[in-house]
Amino acid sequence: MTASVDSRERILDRIRSATQSVALEPAQLASAYAALPRTYIHSGALSAAARVELLVERLREYDAEVVECTPEQLPASIAAQLAASGKRTFVVPPELPPAWHVPGFNFMIDRGLAHSEIEQAEGVVTAAFCAVADSGTIVLHHSSAEGRRVITLLPDWHLCILYASQVVETFPEYFHRSPQPPELVTWISGPSATADIEMTRIKGVHGPRFLHVILVHD
Amino acid sequence: MRASLFITCYNDTLYPETGRAVVRLLERLGVDLDFHPKQTCCGQMHANTGFRGEAFSQAKRLVRLYQDVEAVVIPSSSCVAMMRDQYPVLFQELGNEALRTEFAALLPRVYELSEFLIDKLGVDDVGAYFPHRVTYHASCHGLRGLHLGDRPYRLLAKVRGLNHSPLPNLDRCCGFGGTFSVKNAEVSSAMLAVKLQDVVSTGAEYCTALDNSCLMHLGGAMHRQYASMKTIHMAQILAATETSPAEATL
Amino acid sequence: MSHAAVDHPILDPLLAPPFPKAVLPVLRNPQLRKNVAHAIDVIQTKRARLVTEKSDWQQLRTAASAVRAHVLENLAAYLEQFEARCTAAGGTVHWAANADEARRIILDILRQENASEVIKIKTMTSAEIQLNPYLESGGVSVFETDLAEIILQLGEEEPSHIVVPALHINRSQVREIFARRMGLHDLSDDPHALTAAARTYLRQKFLKIPTAISGANFLIAETGGVAIVESEGNGRMCLTLPQTMITLAGIEKVLPRFQDLEVMLQVLARSATGERMNPYTSLWTGVTPGDGPQRFHVVLLDNGRSAILAKAKERQTLKCIRCAACMNACPVYRQTGGHAYGSVYPGPIGAILTPQLMQMQHAQSLPYASSLCGACFEVCPVKINIPEVLLELRSQVVNQERRHLGRFFDPMYLGLRVANLLFSNAWLFHVAQSLGRMGASFFTRKDGWIHSLPSVGGKWTQTRDLRGLPGQTFHEWWAARAKEAK
Repeated sequence: MTASVDSRERILDRIRSATQSVALEPAQLASAYAALPRTYIHSGALSAAARVELLVERLREYDAEVVECTPEQLPASIAAQLAASGKRTFVVPPELPPAWHVPGFNFMIDRGLAHSEIEQAEGVVTAAFCAVADSGTIVLHHSSAEGRRVITLLPDWHLCILYASQVVETFPEYFHRSPQPPELVTWISGPSATADIEMTRIKGVHGPRFLHVILVHD
Repeated sequence: MRASLFITCYNDTLYPETGRAVVRLLERLGVDLDFHPKQTCCGQMHANTGFRGEAFSQAKRLVRLYQDVEAVVIPSSSCVAMMRDQYPVLFQELGNEALRTEFAALLPRVYELSEFLIDKLGVDDVGAYFPHRVTYHASCHGLRGLHLGDRPYRLLAKVRGLNHSPLPNLDRCCGFGGTFSVKNAEVSSAMLAVKLQDVVSTGAEYCTALDNSCLMHLGGAMHRQYASMKTIHMAQILAATETSPAEATL
Repeated sequence: MSHAAVDHPILDPLLAPPFPKAVLPVLRNPQLRKNVAHAIDVIQTKRARLVTEKSDWQQLRTAASAVRAHVLENLAAYLEQFEARCTAAGGTVHWAANADEARRIILDILRQENASEVIKIKTMTSAEIQLNPYLESGGVSVFETDLAEIILQLGEEEPSHIVVPALHINRSQVREIFARRMGLHDLSDDPHALTAAARTYLRQKFLKIPTAISGANFLIAETGGVAIVESEGNGRMCLTLPQTMITLAGIEKVLPRFQDLEVMLQVLARSATGERMNPYTSLWTGVTPGDGPQRFHVVLLDNGRSAILAKAKERQTLKCIRCAACMNACPVYRQTGGHAYGSVYPGPIGAILTPQLMQMQHAQSLPYASSLCGACFEVCPVKINIPEVLLELRSQVVNQERRHLGRFFDPMYLGLRVANLLFSNAWLFHVAQSLGRMGASFFTRKDGWIHSLPSVGGKWTQTRDLRGLPGQTFHEWWAARAKEAK
């Protein structure tokens, strides 16, 4: 679009002339950025056990259901969660560990399922990239064990399996774990919610209304 | 200790009893107090309404007037905040180097009354006696402008006979805001109504502050609504003693 | 409409009445004032608790402020970097100098897509450029998907807050709107039922409409990524299900690096809704094969922003991350709600942003819509000194207006000129005090108080009395005392 090309130059020119007294040369930009004050807390001070305890507490505050188990108990724990949900059909990402496909349920493996097919699933089971205890946040980078964004969106019930070793205390610690910026991220802090009507918090508007977490003590 | 009193234009005109109380209080504490007869206004009203040139000329006048004094005491937190927050900007934009230097030399010697008592004189017990229930209105300029912190409470805590009832929603503005109170009179009045509810809810006999401008606003509404309480500047509480109580207020 | 108890024009600063006039219908509407005060008191209480909990809150504010200031000072470099990375990742970047151009770009894209319908994530920037009416007149049906925005769209209401746009509407008013527009006559006013109704209403639209429009909370220069912060999941629906995504973002929305989100996300949710973290934050980068929209456009909007950037003191306005903490903390907003500001950006940030976006040609009353109490500055997570900018804009307004002859005899202007003359000379000031005392005595009643004054003074005495002027000023007392002592 030609108009847009002209506008590009026009806008950038206006910005450059507006900032000419303060803008830095490209060579200086990176060092000026590096010198910005970052005196906030980077690393947490909690023990591993306390960190996990904090995450569990914060997740529960958001109305997420959390159960804890050992690696050996995981398949049984998954089966118990799925059974308790009363649901039968679950969509799963293509590289969910085979051991998590517990018998007795229908798993639809997402190898490019249509939205209408995912919409038919009653739940979804995924892994996660990590979790942040301080804010009770589950982080998905949408790898092939975490699944495409749509599978954790359309089903009403989400079971997320998280290892204690994946839990960090602070938000900055997560960013340190992720030195290469990811292309896709979803930060999930509790189930979908709104407070648009009289500030009354209502769980579940469009995203999954039920978030379950199995925390595996590895 | 020598100090010079800047009474401020509206205290001089409308609330001379506050000035008299400051004199009594500070002289009792051994301060050699002076009063510059040529003082008028700090320029706040003009600055806050957008009349920057006028504000600058008043600011310049004030700095010249006080350049030789040891300390300036001001019983009005908003006027002190004007000097700390707005003078540097005015002098930067409209002043010259000589003026900026003069102002920079003066600024550390400018004290709000509670700062002067606590920080400069190092007293929190000024020997006052005021046997009444009082609530303290922190005022936006005292709270967020000057960060007076616990100074006013320390002073009130040492006043014999005084019973302090904390004010709910302490950090909320009373709605005065200088010319805001007439430029946006309806909103200002709505804010005042909310504030007055909080003040009255304390059950205090007096609402005090370190700024008569908020008290003029609150007191004006109290009188209009026949409220069973009054306003009083904290200087008048601190000046009161058993033998010489506070001057009667209207 | 029973719920639309406030008469207000569409939120266009060109048409809006001045603030002191615009507040009048609001102040006479106790239901609306109650709705607003309730909502912001809830957010304020939650925010205060969570900010106290964060021991490094001030350090986070310092960092957030520094990053935003750094971006603005080097905006051209970061925008060019964003454009290059976003393009490399499969996105298409458009530049719009003004609202009209942005609207045309977006409608052109929609026409290329043969889109007759579009779903939208809440974006104040699109409200700023009045996108919806333009698209509707261009033959595209627009469906807002944020619960608050649905309430406004179906109720033909205007937003009154930038984070909780329908906070002035209570549950029974929402029930009435939904019952009427969705045909659900048995709907209860339980917020759960109302939310469920919105979920059902939108579900098929999410699945069927292949084109979406969003705003952006942050653009990441380092990667070309875009981040959106939300709660309901309607954002994720719009970002994930359609084939084409159009993001409209102000040019100031850039952050240098992905890592900067570690600061911004921590301060944003706490400031905006009083949560440790909002339920969903999404970040995507251009186009990801097999996941989400396969055609992605970003429209970078100037619309007055570069002019703000040029002014050293005002530049900080653009640090804003639209958290609304300033309006939640503002005692003026608490009384008036948002509509009186005559702009989609209300509250303290609106009072400085709107007049500047209008190049100081309109909205001249907004910089005065503040008692300068400083609460906005105290809570701002990126440390915008709003009172400082308000004062700067007030002086610009005065410099503009005092040139007009009509303003010469305006009581306020006249009074301030006279006052300045009096303050310039103590003798004149003292004469004026004496004259004032004489004048005031005509209005002072037996109780020693003034109950009614003419002209500007009447604005004071409409709700407050004024104590009569005492018989002796302080300086007169001092002089008399000094004489006695001699």
